This record gives sequence, C-alpha cells and structure tokens, in this order.
Amino acid sequence: MEIIKTSNLKKSYMLGNVEVKALNGVDTSIEQGEFVAIMGPSGCGKSTFLNLTGMLDTPTSGEIYLEGKDVTNMNSNMRAEYRLKYMGFVFQFFNLFNELTVMENVMFPMMLNKRSNYKERAKELLNLVGLGDRLNHLPSELSGGQQQRVTIARSLANDPKILLADEPTGNLDTASSIEIIELFRKLNQEQGQTIVMVTHSPEIGGMTDRIIHFRDGTIEH
Amino acid sequence: MSSVFFYARKDAKKNWKMFVFVIMAIAISTANIIIINGFMDGLTDGFLEKTMDTSSGHINIYPNEQDKYIEGLGIKEKKLDGLDGVVAYSPRITAGGTLHYKEKFKTIKILALDPSKENEVTILLSKIDSGKTLAANDRDGILISYRLADDLKVKIGDEATIVFENGKIRVFKIRGILHTGLAMDTNTIIINFEDASEQLNLFNKASIILVKLQDGTLSGQYKNKISGELGIQKIKEWEQEIESVLSSFKTFRDISNFMNAIGLFTGAVSVGIVLYINILHRRRQIGILKAIGMKDSQVLFVYILQAVFLGIIGILIGDALGYAGTKYLEAHPFPDPTLGSLGPRFHLSLIYDASLVTMLIIILAAAIPALMASRTNIIKAIWGE
Ligand SMILES: Nc1ncnc2c1ncn2[C@@H]1O[C@H](COP(=O)(O)OP(=O)(O)OP(=O)(O)O)[C@@H](O)[C@H]1O
Ligand SMILES: [Mg+2]
Repeated sequence: MEIIKTSNLKKSYMLGNVEVKALNGVDTSIEQGEFVAIMGPSGCGKSTFLNLTGMLDTPTSGEIYLEGKDVTNMNSNMRAEYRLKYMGFVFQFFNLFNELTVMENVMFPMMLNKRSNYKERAKELLNLVGLGDRLNHLPSELSGGQQQRVTIARSLANDPKILLADEPTGNLDTASSIEIIELFRKLNQEQGQTIVMVTHSPEIGGMTDRIIHFRDGTIEH
Repeated sequence: MSSVFFYARKDAKKNWKMFVFVIMAIAISTANIIIINGFMDGLTDGFLEKTMDTSSGHINIYPNEQDKYIEGLGIKEKKLDGLDGVVAYSPRITAGGTLHYKEKFKTIKILALDPSKENEVTILLSKIDSGKTLAANDRDGILISYRLADDLKVKIGDEATIVFENGKIRVFKIRGILHTGLAMDTNTIIINFEDASEQLNLFNKASIILVKLQDGTLSGQYKNKISGELGIQKIKEWEQEIESVLSSFKTFRDISNFMNAIGLFTGAVSVGIVLYINILHRRRQIGILKAIGMKDSQVLFVYILQAVFLGIIGILIGDALGYAGTKYLEAHPFPDPTLGSLGPRFHLSLIYDASLVTMLIIILAAAIPALMASRTNIIKAIWGE
C-alpha cells in the first residue's frame, strides 16, 4: 500500500528579492513497510522534502497524500494531530527535552496523545533501544549516540505509521552510527516500520531497501 | 491537559531563580496596591466620619432656591418638635466677616449655633484643642479654629473684634481653640446663635437646620415627610452629603490609582520579560514540542499556566504582606498635624480587589510572549535560525 505520495511538490523561499527553489516538482511514492534513504548533494532539498512530508511545513504548490488522503491544506491543529499520531521524527541534532528525564521524554508524546499505559510503554521502548537502565538520567548525562536512541524511542511512542529521520547519524561516530542504523533495520524488519531517512553516507544508504536520489530540488532517475 | 501541566511544571522548575524574582515583583506590587488603597480608604473614611460627626445631621434642611436663609424658623422648629422620629435638630447661621486682633486681621467664616441644640445633633463643640467649649448662655465667647489662632497669635482669654459682613462690630472673648481635622480649621469661628441673629438682624432665620433622626436609615422617608410638612424645597440626606465629600476626594483617588497602575505595570512587565526571555531561550524546545504534535493552543497554555502559577504565589505573598502592613499601620498610624493621625483602614475587599486586578494584568502581560511561543515556526526553531 502506498503510504506517502507527493505530486509535483514545490517549495520556494524568498531570500530578499531572490526566489530560492528548494523543491522544484517532486513526484514520489513510498510503500508501507519500506525503508527508504534519501541522498543527494548538500542543498538539493532533502530536508525540505522531509519537512513537507512530515507536515512540519507547507508546500508552495503540489500535493501530499498520506495513505491516499490529501493532507496538503490541513489547518495547523489537524497537522499537529497528524504529527502526534502518525509521525515520528529523528533529526540530526539531538532534540530531546533537556529538562525531562529519559523516561519522561519518551512518555511525553503519549501523555499528549492521552494514552493510559505510557509508563510501561516508555520502559518497553527504552529497553528496545538498549537504554532500559538509564530511565532517570537527564539527556545531558548521555552520549550523543545514546541521546539519539532516546529520540528514536520517543519518535516511536505513539506507534507512528511513518518514521522520518534527517541525517540521524550526522553527528555520531561510526560505531554509534552503525548502532542506530541496526536499530532502524530491526524496527523495519521486525515491526514493519516505514522509515524515510536522509543520509550522506553511501554505506548507510546501501543498508536500506531503496535510495531516492535528489538533485537541485528534483528526483534524479 | 495533564501533559500541558506536566511540561509547564518541568519548564518552570528549570527557571526557578528567575521566577523567584518575578514572584517578588508581583508580591510587592500587590502589597503596594493593598496598602495604598487602605490609606485612601482610611483617609476618606476618616474624613467622612468627621464630616458626619461635626457638620451634618441625618437630614439637612437648606434655604429655598431663591432665598439666602430659611424663613420662619420658629414655626419650622415647632413642626419638627411635633414629628415622631425626629430626635433633635440644630439651626445654624453661616456668615462672612473679619476678625481683628491687635494690628492684624483675617477674613473669617462665622458659624453661629445654639450649643444646647447643637450638642444634641453633632459633637462639633467637643472638638476643642485647648480652653473651654462654647456654653449655651455664653453671649460674649467664641471658639476660634486653631490655624486662625496661629495666624493671629491669639490665646485663650484674649479679646478680639469681629466685623460682621453687614459692617457691625463687636468684641468677643476667645474661649477655646477648635480643631476638627476638616476644612473649617482654616478660618472658622463659632459664636452663639443669638449673637449672630442680633448682629446680622436675622430674626427667625437660619442658614441650615441639621436634623437628627431616631433611625438614620429612614432618612429617605423622613426627607419627604419633612419636606412636605415644613414646605421645604431643598433638603439633603446624609448619603448625599457623603457623596459630595467623596467627590472632593476624586483627585486623591486618581493619584493613588495612578500609583497603583505604576506598581502593577512594573509587576506585569517583569512577568512579561521573564517569560519572554525564557521563551527565547527555549525556542528550539518549543519547536520540538510543536513538531511532536503539541497544538498551538496547548503551547500558549503552557506559558499562561506558568504566569498564573507565578501570579498565584506572588499574589498570596503580596496579600500577606499587604494585610500585615495595613493592619500594622492601622494600629500605628502616622501622626498628622491636620488630621490628627493618618493611617490605612483594613477591609477584606482591599485584598480581593488587589488580587483580582493583579492576576488579570499578569495574564494580559503573559499573553504576548505566550502567543509568540505558540506561533513559533517549527522549522526555524529546530534548525536554530
Ligand atoms: N528557511 C529557508 N530560507 C531560505 N532558503 C532556505 C531555507 N531552508 C532551505 N533553504 C534553501 O533551500 C535549499 C534546500 O535546502 P535543504 O535544507 O532542503 O537542503 P538539504 O538537501 O537538506 O541540504 P543538506 O544536505 O546540507 O542538509 C537550499 O538551497 C537552502 O539554502
Ligand atoms: Mg538537510
């Protein structure tokens, strides 16, 4: 089943009087359960694409369909609802809540989603990412790789249909990077998690089902 | 909702040092409002009380519109005597003139009254600093207000000359010094009613009659009754007299409200600024909040909630300080040469009003940074622009 589809997706920014075309007509289709890598030179629009499909931003034109539903023109409340229930995000820079413990960071999206058994579920997820013994630590007490694993646990909290990762290993050493990618593969293979991941590393890209190549705001065929 | 509370609490905990400072600003502003308003109430109440005690009956009868004096005093007094519920009345004459002592003189207001009647209605004649008060049969004595005595340097027992507004001249003896804490302290002298009638040729006339009722709350009913039976056009209840006293305090009230507003503004601005700084520091965290699905309205609420929390603590502390301060100053008022003493008067509504107004202003002040936070652009916040 087609979980993400974009049609002639465009996004441009105005820098003073100059129009920067970050995306210039992107047509993609990603199947449920796929593990896809997005690659391409810096500035070709990878992050822009991910932000649009993740409903963090709105396109200048074109359409986005999630599970066949046109979500392009949803209002900001509905977009928030969608992000909460259907999306998980992992960014290059660690994006944890510094004032919350590891456990609370993972609990929080579930509290926001009014789930009841969020404590057990948070522990479960932290065990899954191998941090079951760090529940009460603050993010600042963890290594970069560990923080990124907490972020992944948090992104999975509400069982998202789609996991979006923008250079999740961009700030990590090789060993930690491999741990993260192994974790993604495990999630993808064992739980059928759909994952769209931006990466600059050909090795990491090679570990996915499919690579989508971007160049100058469009897809390279 | 619980998640919003949860995050607001965690976020506030991280900032407690700045928040302590804000709480203090709110507390001081609240206490300030309570004490200043307490002083205003004390001042007004004191003035009202004195005015009622010395210068007004439950009902005051004035001359008809076109007349300078109430005519036919004798008949009117008889009718008042016949009215059930009228306990006492005191006719007064007011006139102008000058008071001469040695080579000095001053313009004066002459207040003439019958001490035996006046004492049934007011306590004016007991407001004596030194000397004796005016006796009923004392046809040579006068009371002189303390500032007038200071100005003319007259003492008890001295003889001074009054030139009445119609040019008649008479020498009187100073019996006592009057001190009421009211405007009449500047240049009033009190003489016997009969003396004034004689000098001003006012037989059977008065400038005002103060009427004391058995039950002051029935003044409205008696106003109509007296007005009808005595054929009087102009008659005022004590509530109306109070209103005119209160209106003379309007400027004072305006000034004190202005001072309160400045205090409030300081408190509110400090809340606004601290929240604003906090939000600037947390732009990225707010971006993440929104990215993982927190709605704009929920982000807004996180910060309003923090402001309400700061407000409640600050206001409670301010209430306690304001209560303690007002109570203390009520018990230990500042001595004041004119008023006797100047202190606040405590009333529970002082606390309600100050708390309510402060909370409203805090929420308004918080709304601006909270709205900013809720409108944070996710992409810009997360990518650190
Ligand atoms: N907020 C913005 N304002 C102006 N231009 C922007 C903005 N965000 C992105 N761009 C521009 O859009 C283009 C695409 O940016 P994007 O971040 O999607 O690239 P990217 O492929 O993710 O690059 P990188 O590999 O360096 O992360 C770039 O030219 C970038 O300068
Ligand atoms: Mg990028």
